[in-house]
Amino acid sequence: MFIGQDITRVDALDKVLGTAAFAHDLKKDTMLFACVVRSSRPHAMIRKIDVSAALALDGVVKVLSHKDIPGENLFGAIKKDQPFLAEGRVRYKGEAILVIVGITEEIARTASGLVEIEYEDLEYISDPFLSMRSPILIHDGGNLLSHRKVIKGDAGKGFESSDVIVENTYSTTWIDHAYMETEAGIGYTDERGHIVVASSTQNIHYKMKEIARLLAIPPEQVRVVQATTGGGFGGKLDVTVEGYIALAVYHTKRPVVMRYTREESFLGQTKRHPLYIEYKTGARKDGSLTAVEVNIVGDTGPYISYGETVCLRAAVHATGPYEVPNVLVNSRMFYTNNPVSGAMRGFGVPQLALAHESQLDEIAQRIGMDPLDIRMKNALKRGSLTATSQVLNHSAGLLETLKGIEPFWRARRKQGPGSGFGLGCMYYGIGNTGISNPSSCYLTFTPEGRVEMHSGVCDIGQGSDTVLLQILCDALGMEEMGIDLVRGDTDTSFDAGSTSASRQTYISGMAVCDAAQKMREYLEGQGYYSGKPLKDICREAAEKGLPVFNGHFDPPTTAPDPETSQGAPYATYAFATHMTEVHVDEVTGVCKAVKVHAAHDVGRAINVSNVKGQIYGGVAMGVGLALMEEFIPGKTESFDNYYLPTSMDMPEVEAIVVEDREPTGPFGAKGVGEPALIPQAAAIVNAIKDATGVRMRQLPCDIERLKLALEKNKVK
Amino acid sequence: MLPKFASVIAKTREEALSWLSSLENPRIIAGGTDLMVKMRAGKQYNHVIDVAGVPELLTLTETDEGLSLGPAITHARLSISEPIIRNARSLALACGLVGSPQIRNMGTIGGNLANASPAADSIPPLLIHDAVLVLESREARRRVPLEEVIVAPYVTSIDRKELLSSIEINPLRGYREGYRRVAKRATWAISRLGVAFAIREDKGRFADVKLAIGSCTPMPFRPKKVEDLLRGAEKSEVIITEAIRMALEEIKLISGIRPSYAYKLPVLQGILEEVLRG
Amino acid sequence: MKTISFVLNGKKTSIEVDDNETLLGALRERLGITSVKEGCGIGECGTCTVLVDDEPHYSCLTLASKANGRDIKTVEYLSSSGALHPLQEAFIKSGAVQCGYCTPGMLLCAYSLLLKNADPDARDIKEAISGNLCRCTGYIQIEEAIKNAAEICKCDR
Repeated sequence: MFIGQDITRVDALDKVLGTAAFAHDLKKDTMLFACVVRSSRPHAMIRKIDVSAALALDGVVKVLSHKDIPGENLFGAIKKDQPFLAEGRVRYKGEAILVIVGITEEIARTASGLVEIEYEDLEYISDPFLSMRSPILIHDGGNLLSHRKVIKGDAGKGFESSDVIVENTYSTTWIDHAYMETEAGIGYTDERGHIVVASSTQNIHYKMKEIARLLAIPPEQVRVVQATTGGGFGGKLDVTVEGYIALAVYHTKRPVVMRYTREESFLGQTKRHPLYIEYKTGARKDGSLTAVEVNIVGDTGPYISYGETVCLRAAVHATGPYEVPNVLVNSRMFYTNNPVSGAMRGFGVPQLALAHESQLDEIAQRIGMDPLDIRMKNALKRGSLTATSQVLNHSAGLLETLKGIEPFWRARRKQGPGSGFGLGCMYYGIGNTGISNPSSCYLTFTPEGRVEMHSGVCDIGQGSDTVLLQILCDALGMEEMGIDLVRGDTDTSFDAGSTSASRQTYISGMAVCDAAQKMREYLEGQGYYSGKPLKDICREAAEKGLPVFNGHFDPPTTAPDPETSQGAPYATYAFATHMTEVHVDEVTGVCKAVKVHAAHDVGRAINVSNVKGQIYGGVAMGVGLALMEEFIPGKTESFDNYYLPTSMDMPEVEAIVVEDREPTGPFGAKGVGEPALIPQAAAIVNAIKDATGVRMRQLPCDIERLKLALEKNKVK
Repeated sequence: MLPKFASVIAKTREEALSWLSSLENPRIIAGGTDLMVKMRAGKQYNHVIDVAGVPELLTLTETDEGLSLGPAITHARLSISEPIIRNARSLALACGLVGSPQIRNMGTIGGNLANASPAADSIPPLLIHDAVLVLESREARRRVPLEEVIVAPYVTSIDRKELLSSIEINPLRGYREGYRRVAKRATWAISRLGVAFAIREDKGRFADVKLAIGSCTPMPFRPKKVEDLLRGAEKSEVIITEAIRMALEEIKLISGIRPSYAYKLPVLQGILEEVLRG
Repeated sequence: MKTISFVLNGKKTSIEVDDNETLLGALRERLGITSVKEGCGIGECGTCTVLVDDEPHYSCLTLASKANGRDIKTVEYLSSSGALHPLQEAFIKSGAVQCGYCTPGMLLCAYSLLLKNADPDARDIKEAISGNLCRCTGYIQIEEAIKNAAEICKCDR
């Protein structure tokens, strides 16, 4: 039995030995180095580009512009709207304009500094509120990228029947993924003439398709391999280096390596969306929520990336994990000339959690109700209707997570001045919102008698390789020593979809179960389970051709109603409660997260150590989001002024695993990657309120903002 | 990628001085934690003289008059040095807070000083110990008080051809001494405020008070008027309040009203209250 | 150019380096030791950590010439006997490895700690890795692994 066991991660050995090959560790003879020349202006027409000095530099092999793109210049995860290389106009500082290829990294980077570009500045649209009013259009279609609504019941009537109404505005800012490994890759042409790109990535089939479009070649002539990837968090879903590498390989006919410095990664790569959230909550004096009205305005930067996805997800999750009969949400994303905002762990939900959890605490305070009690009262459970009127038929363990926290909550005692406790709850739809997002895989045998699992799933550190292996072992009733994992290569796998939306355990896990069931039936027919050795079965089968067993799963969802978003956007949801104890030093404004109890309904914990690892990592990211992380365009350059939590900033964490089995999931499993983060910042902010009486509505609640708020509160 | 330069490794003080005088556009490197970052950002030097291994720059001597610190001594070593803990506790504490363990293993007190950041943690403690720097060139040797060496943020009056060869400090024994700083995360962060203090009380009076404030004004400074006010005064809430008011006034006199003061001054007030109350 | 001679992972090594070369660059490019990473290049992430005379340094901020005459260790040293070091075993067992990018640096800091302190408490362990960022694990399982390894190493003494 491998489910629920902490079997050793399949990738851990190489990583502790230091032999794991990350993209920049890969080498090829005669390899060249490519780097990107980027815009120094946030919004401008390019009047002139002079590359003569760059070309004259000894060792420069190629300078490539959009004119050198044989296929399509536009790429994008949802819509193809972003140029690989700018064509006459740049829309954000850091936008790519040229690719320079040199015989060494130093030469390529020196050359890129020699390129002279003349810009004619256009008006810089610096925030979404400006954008909504401005006659300057970033794109011809207007500055509004997306407007999604959730309409359920009648919010107006709901407020009329409320005994208490709380109305506030919350705001968050850009956050950087800050994976320890920056974007990197290496490309070459193989013996078949195919373009091969190995990169740090969260998906491989998507990148393969984009490269094929870029070069106007069939996707079958492109091979993308996932190198060991040092973290993703949503930042390596978009094409990063892969297109530039492929273009450079196409033109130079030599291997090309590329990597971003940390400064480039901060400058050029996507960020978490800043969201401005106007939130109105109505409730009766018994604590039951009557209505929620939310206005979300987001800064999506100049290109779509995952902006539409965040717009919708934020809207759908805006109420939080509660039964609210009347809901009105307007979620709008505007283009600006700020950094491109895209996918980042939680897709807008961590920001909304700040709002819905603060609102609930404020309602609770107004009516004199305990924060845990009000959450228990309103918690979604089996039979509840969500904000999109989806009935939760199964696996809705929020109450169990609240009960898991309850003894600690009831027993809490403030440790003195500055000590406080806060709660944060969340729910999160697993998989992409209301659209098909299937995963496919296949199983086969080797002639020597081993099982081969062919998986296109990109393990970015969260442990999917191991978890899929565990699922397969239990589905087949086999030891893992008999199974070879063939993974991360478009040549040897089907499209499993991206490692995002906390979807791989659930969706790719089910695809594995699907294939495993077919293989199991075959093995039963061959007598394996009655004792015939696999070696013999395979040897015999090899004569006729070894069978292949395809697996596929696409979660059953419905497309949301285009006006009201009503429907069943996800097949399953994860639920969680975080309780956080803080200590605030009222002299300095320093807030220390002291202890966290984090209870997560994951359906089924395939690998408990992995689940806890995600929870601990999510808590860390939540501490950063709440207290110290802030990307300031033009100012933030690297880790010297973008602060991630260190070991000394971490609270003690107790992870509580709740398993409310998901019948459509592999052995009951759902997901935990993003849920781990989502409620944490909200819990800290609620704890700060408890500790100091001060309600912070803007993140990060860093030492300066908190101290200023404390001073203001003293005056009151 | 660092700009091109030629480096030499000095084995003795003499070698260092000789190279300083003869090489074009030279720069001293000790731990490198500041200089390497500057060079990565494009700062060019023709020559880099590595003095991290020069024995004369690594010695720490303690006499009754004071201590003499080799500038190439690392923060890590100073933070656990018994003579420093005994004679200059705030310096040991401050050095233990610089950067991260790796930075403390590499970075030196001389380097921290020569970089002259307004937020340098080692400088307020050195100021309350009346630090005097010994600066040597081929031709001359001079002793200059630390506060005269730092002339502006990141600017010292150390000549290009001069080597900081020793830091001399007075011991403070019998004082309640410490270093407090505030930063945006628990460790490995620039100090937003730093206060070095050494206070001796006697029968309900402040016998002596030494204070130095960092990260508040262009250079870390000692509010001498405040020290004078407190010295000999009866320890009371009234005098503490007055002393703090004077300190904040002096800061505003030096720097004007900076946007960061909305945060820093109330925090400083709170820290000084805690420090003076004891 | 300079010739530098030093002990690398227990073996005497001699290489030519440019004056403006970093130890990180020399290890990765000239000696093929890719376990040492560049996460930021300015000494603010810890992924470039090496041990110099058994003390953690950021190799991205270390001129290669400074390695002359020193003892340099990278994570390969821990398993140089052919077996996994108890720290490596503990990291695997405790779930301390997720993406793996910070792992070599963490292991080296832990190794250095245990050389100086055979019985570190939770605070000692936190401080030992306080100059190494991790974006995946939240540090907790890394700290557990170090504690567990310390127990084992104690028994082995």
